[in-house]
Amino acid sequence: MSTSVALNGKGMLRGLNLRQRTILLISLMSLLLMTVLASSLYIDSSSLSTNFDSRNLAPSLEHPFGTDWMGRDMFARTLTGLGLSIMVGAFASAISTFVSVVLGLLSSMGRAADSFVSWLVDLFLSIPHLLLIILISIGLGGGATGVIIGVGLTHWTSLTRVVRAEIKQINTQDYIHISRNFGKSNWWIARKHILPHLVPQFLLGMILVFPHAILHEASVTFLGFGLSPHEPAIGIILSESMRYLAAGYWWLAFFPGMSLLIVVLAVDVIGENLGKIMDPRKAHE
Amino acid sequence: MKKQLSFPLLIILLLGLVAVSGCADSAGKTGVHMASDELVAAVGTHGGEPESGFDPITGWGYNHEPLVQSTLFKRDSNAAVVNDLATDHTISEDGLVWTVNIRDDVKFHDGVALTAGDVAFTFNKAAMSAGRVDLTMLEKATAIDDDTVEFILRNPQSTFINKLIGVGIVPEHAYTSSYGQNPVGSGPYMFKQWNKGQQVIFEANPDYYGQQPYFKKLTIVYMEGDTAFAAVKAGQVDLAEIPHTYANQVVNGRKIVSLETIEACGITLPTEPNTGEKTADGYPVGNTVTSDIAIRKALNIGIDRQSLVKGPLNGHGAVEFTGVDKLPWVNKEAIFEDGNIEEARRILQDAGWVDTDGDGILEKNGVKAEFTLLYASSAQDRQALAVAVSEQAKKMGINIKVEGASWDKIQNMAISTPVVFKYGDIDPTDVYLRYHSESYDPSNWNNMIRYSNPVVDAHLKTAITSPDEETAIEYWQLAAWDGETGYSEKGDAPWLWMASINYLYIMDEDLDIGTPVIQPHGGNIFGNILEWKRIEN
Repeated sequence: MSTSVALNGKGMLRGLNLRQRTILLISLMSLLLMTVLASSLYIDSSSLSTNFDSRNLAPSLEHPFGTDWMGRDMFARTLTGLGLSIMVGAFASAISTFVSVVLGLLSSMGRAADSFVSWLVDLFLSIPHLLLIILISIGLGGGATGVIIGVGLTHWTSLTRVVRAEIKQINTQDYIHISRNFGKSNWWIARKHILPHLVPQFLLGMILVFPHAILHEASVTFLGFGLSPHEPAIGIILSESMRYLAAGYWWLAFFPGMSLLIVVLAVDVIGENLGKIMDPRKAHE
Repeated sequence: MKKQLSFPLLIILLLGLVAVSGCADSAGKTGVHMASDELVAAVGTHGGEPESGFDPITGWGYNHEPLVQSTLFKRDSNAAVVNDLATDHTISEDGLVWTVNIRDDVKFHDGVALTAGDVAFTFNKAAMSAGRVDLTMLEKATAIDDDTVEFILRNPQSTFINKLIGVGIVPEHAYTSSYGQNPVGSGPYMFKQWNKGQQVIFEANPDYYGQQPYFKKLTIVYMEGDTAFAAVKAGQVDLAEIPHTYANQVVNGRKIVSLETIEACGITLPTEPNTGEKTADGYPVGNTVTSDIAIRKALNIGIDRQSLVKGPLNGHGAVEFTGVDKLPWVNKEAIFEDGNIEEARRILQDAGWVDTDGDGILEKNGVKAEFTLLYASSAQDRQALAVAVSEQAKKMGINIKVEGASWDKIQNMAISTPVVFKYGDIDPTDVYLRYHSESYDPSNWNNMIRYSNPVVDAHLKTAITSPDEETAIEYWQLAAWDGETGYSEKGDAPWLWMASINYLYIMDEDLDIGTPVIQPHGGNIFGNILEWKRIEN
């Protein structure tokens, strides 16, 4: 029975063209992320609580990722941690996109505005990224909000640069000059001519910021900033697991690390395949 | 963008690899033994390496065996005071003059005899320098003759005996500002070599006035707990202090020893209400929820301490009710029956705490029975206890939100927010500093919640100004509970004491450490080093 289903599946895949297959891949990966996010939100709080009778258990059917030193189920903790990561990632991408749209369009407004935007980008890039996140999150009083905002506010720089370069290129096009000679305002040109060209850039940039933000959130919590050590965040789980490696509790690091890897790769796959579809130069490959 | 991504990904992969390889490595190895009368120990990870060297004037050896120096008195395994350098002591009627006779057969490591002059010099020097030892009550110490010292106090102080226990005697003729780098004393071990940040080597003192130690060479290496554990496994270290997480590890040829301590772990429950008052630094004062005595009593009675010891502490601890349970100044009447959730619920209900909105958390006058509980992020045992208490409190309808914090934050917040603290001093001054209203001093971690009860204050004052410890003990006990009020649960219950936490050591199977002395905060495993030996087989 199961083999026929598998064969059917293969036949189904064969029937699709590359474009359809890419779309299928994207939807599968999105579904995976959605599932992680949804299940982390609806996780039963009792499965996150301690149970000292079942501490440091190796992975089993009951605890697929094992348990930690307080007998907490690592599967539930990892899911909750990943949920937080995905939310931080989504928030950071949204803010980054918004900021880069605003700054990118601003830079097309004139010479002064353009220098201001480049100066702002240079300023933010001149401070080591992780340090900046830590500074902002401490400045905001620490806690989960500090980390979320810290990560959110620092990922717009590279996207802004891409957008600005794109705009510069578009600005040299003939139809822009013609519009200008017709007396259209800068704002009108930005809205009607430039913005439509930028939409694919934004979408791709937004998705590619996502894994960065997730990894930065993991790094910051790994270093012990933001969340308390008993709360489930992927960085905290990983840093805690370090203490137990010598004791032989390998599952504490392996599964959470692997899950983080899968989530990050999933987002990356989505971004890459979306790029194939949307980029006119690659769409027909 | 892709290029930047690959680096963190690589790290995660590596971490996973390490994790997998870690489990392959856990097979025990038999260690390479050094000469049997040598001992390499990785302990003292709490206090760590003394920054200012091995100088008793700046605090070396306070609360633990100084090894190089000897002290006038010591405390044994029951916290009773025993003579070391001293042969006897008398206290004048008014408690202002302490006369101590010392042995006349003691020599420093350089061959010069130790006299009463050195003792007087040590204490006068320690009183002048702002070291770890508080000697403000000492007016002056004088040598009457070669083996009699007289201490004149500004006011009578029963706890002065602890200063005589805590300060190792230094030689007047060889004391310079760099003494800590190259100490000379009269203790069982001579200082040999100190590689800063790595290790210190001691050798047995052949002229020691007491019993000769079995171990002729003692090396203390400075390592973090997990490194120390790995070093023991590799056979490089004979004895190491290890974190509780390694309690169940089995290593060939090594045993794990769990030493009872007086290190009591408790939670402060601020007794003042939040009236909008702020500290000088602008932090709020008081806590509306814990200022209700019903909450404090219910928590004390409802929490099941035995399960805290069994669970979070993995059995390596003992229940604790007053914070001084194992010390002579404990008031046995202040110890109570706990784990009684029904009684706790009744206390809360009688006080008007009822769950009106059905969310499982009680309310009174529109205030929810919930508060934040801070613990030091770096301390795993405190984290585990905090989480476990919070889960137990939920059953009583009290919502405790646990939060890890830095010590800086804790110092500012403790006056309004409950905190997990650990205290374990063999000096009852600790009790005075914790509960006397005038002791409030966040910068020194004294009476962090500004607890104030005039009756308790009076008992504490009488206790500390008693001429000697025996008289004082009665008043230390009354301060906990005098039949009407006190600092214990029966009285104001300003603390929720939970458990005392054992120290864990992993050591060679043939190492016999005798009967350890009482173990204070930071441990004092070398307190009975003279009894240590290897069992021949």
